[in-house]
Amino acid sequence: MALQQRLKPALPLVPLLPGLALLPVLVVVLRDLHGGGWAVLGEALRSIVQPSLDPVLIASLLEGAQVTLLTALLAWCASCIAGTFIGIVCSDTFWSLLGAPTRIARVIRVPLALLRSIHELIWGLLLLQLLGLSFWVAGLAIAIPYSAYMARLVRDLIDTRPSPPWRALISSGAPAISAVLTAITPSMAPELVQQMGQRLDCALRSAVMLGVFGLGGLGTDLMLSLQSLRFREVSSGLWLLAGLMVIVETGTRQMRQRLGALPGLLIAGLPISVVWAKELSLDLSWPHWNPLPISPTLSSVLEAMTQANWAELIGATLVITAWASAIAIAGPPLLLLIWPSRLGRHAQRFTWRLCRICPVPLTALLMLLLVKPSLAVAAAALGLHHAGVTGRILLDAVDQRHNVSSSGHLVAGGSQRTAMLYGPLAQLSRNYLAVGAQRSEVILRDTAVVGLVGGAGLGWELMEALSSFYWDLVIALLITYAVITMAGELLTDHWQRAWACQADGSTG
Amino acid sequence: MLKFDRVSLQGRLDSVEFELQGDQKTALLGSSGAGKSTLIALANGSLQADQGQVLWTGQPICQLPRRRRRDIGTLWQDLRLVEELTALQNINAGALGRHSLFWALRNLCDARLCRTTCAQLMAEVGLTEQLLDQPVQQLSGGQRQRIALARLLRQQPMFVLADEPLSALDPVLAEDVIAILLKQTGCLVSLHRPDLIHRFDRVLGLRHGSLVFDVRSDRLSREQIGWLYSSD
Repeated sequence: MALQQRLKPALPLVPLLPGLALLPVLVVVLRDLHGGGWAVLGEALRSIVQPSLDPVLIASLLEGAQVTLLTALLAWCASCIAGTFIGIVCSDTFWSLLGAPTRIARVIRVPLALLRSIHELIWGLLLLQLLGLSFWVAGLAIAIPYSAYMARLVRDLIDTRPSPPWRALISSGAPAISAVLTAITPSMAPELVQQMGQRLDCALRSAVMLGVFGLGGLGTDLMLSLQSLRFREVSSGLWLLAGLMVIVETGTRQMRQRLGALPGLLIAGLPISVVWAKELSLDLSWPHWNPLPISPTLSSVLEAMTQANWAELIGATLVITAWASAIAIAGPPLLLLIWPSRLGRHAQRFTWRLCRICPVPLTALLMLLLVKPSLAVAAAALGLHHAGVTGRILLDAVDQRHNVSSSGHLVAGGSQRTAMLYGPLAQLSRNYLAVGAQRSEVILRDTAVVGLVGGAGLGWELMEALSSFYWDLVIALLITYAVITMAGELLTDHWQRAWACQADGSTG
Repeated sequence: MLKFDRVSLQGRLDSVEFELQGDQKTALLGSSGAGKSTLIALANGSLQADQGQVLWTGQPICQLPRRRRRDIGTLWQDLRLVEELTALQNINAGALGRHSLFWALRNLCDARLCRTTCAQLMAEVGLTEQLLDQPVQQLSGGQRQRIALARLLRQQPMFVLADEPLSALDPVLAEDVIAILLKQTGCLVSLHRPDLIHRFDRVLGLRHGSLVFDVRSDRLSREQIGWLYSSD
């Protein structure tokens, strides 16, 4: 007990503690090294600085990039518009304004949680079975979960605004809608715009990832090149993707500064997408619904459930999630502590961008050149990709605060590392942990993508069931996935709020 | 020991020149916006001059190696405590310049690290040992000021810089703070309290970024002070 009281980690250490989980990942990866692909990996790394400039390839990649961007734009516009409306309707504030019980909002939120809990890749593969290969499949696959996510975000923003301002306006005779618009919209607009901007970045990465699984665009080109070990072509595609992401990031940053630009882009986005798709000669006809060849019944689904080893499947999914979250949360602050200088931060920014750009399956396949498939490889690939996101968030925040919060320690003779630890990292740890909690939730959903690599987990079983048209098991797995991700969402939501509340409290 | 050699910083300081001995207690006077905080920031190296040099024992302050930077301690106007840590961890943060990263990490997880030393420093600044385990964000303004002072003492600097350490303090606390600062070997303290200058050896007067007087405290006249704070 005394030891427990004595060894109580302070807050700046908490984001670093998950780093302990890196050790087992490292041990497993080192144990499973087969060394057969060093030459190929060397070729892959060399190709980063020697991309192929073949005009035919570049033309094909450019076309693929346009399809990817178009898919992302379409899905983003649709999800932002739909998500905003649904978010308003499922907020407690909306129903209390109407004088109706807020239970209705809670009922609406249940199916939304279900839609959100299923990963866009799974939506993509399901829609592919039901609608066939079509331009709309990828867009819908992204738009469905993203709309549900946006709805939750908008609802949170509305319901967490203080009610006294709009209640005061209503009591002074203002119509309800005018009161809410006046009292709530201005305070939630900056955060909403920021979140919507980030969703465009996410939509682009999702569109690439769906392409990797055959739904067209740049991702498909990248996967085909990688499968034939044409690394220079992969490199050209990745550079192009990097360019696209920089454009999107710059655009969304601009949008944050000009709040009025976002509604304009959202309204114009849909017609622009349609015209653009016609320019690219894409088939925009609505696909036919192909009903499932069999109709699963409750008893057949229950029977399918008895055929899977659920403990092993769920256990593997949770292990991948825990390891990947540890890498994504602890990796960026650890690296920042190891190399805190300005040059180091630039190098880290580049590294995290690279991790973010490379789709998870691609990273995993590159790792498989050296290491045998395992849960650790799957977790490492997933963790590195998400470390790309958390790393960027952390570096942005550190760069904003670095001079002020670390100068006190530096002038007192502290090293750059200690100044980083006691300065920006200490200040940011609560907010960063809130971001980390939210990231863990995304990682749990993303295990569907890497289950394939690890040959384990629910993701792997789902892919197997889908490719063998075993619909009863597909439904059983989807239900399980939804239950786990919803439970994970509740848990991470709790952590996220706890850390964020403490962060708000500490800034006062 | 601390020398300002024609130091200018655009729009804030204009060719300031003086030299302080290591055992001198010096007060820095000037109205708001005269450049006192800028001068303190230049003296500890957190700002760099456009022209001229700030020298510490003959070496440009911006080129001082890390182990010599700890010879200069600063009591910041905004205190710069690490809000997320306890009083003990904040006081120990004053010793970061003498220890490795491992020690810095240990300070973040060992609630008893150098507890006796910190308790002695707490007593010195007029606080009880019980407050050592409190997060600093839960302490009152006066307690936080004393913790910052204890952190400064933990650093064991050869020379102390203090940027308006008495602003917003009640008279009793102000007296305690000034007494502790004057116990140090040498110090440069920026003040808004002309009534306290008799306790210093020397007084520097700053007006609109220029050093307008540099005199022994017993030779400073009321007229000089009046002019320093006048608007014309």
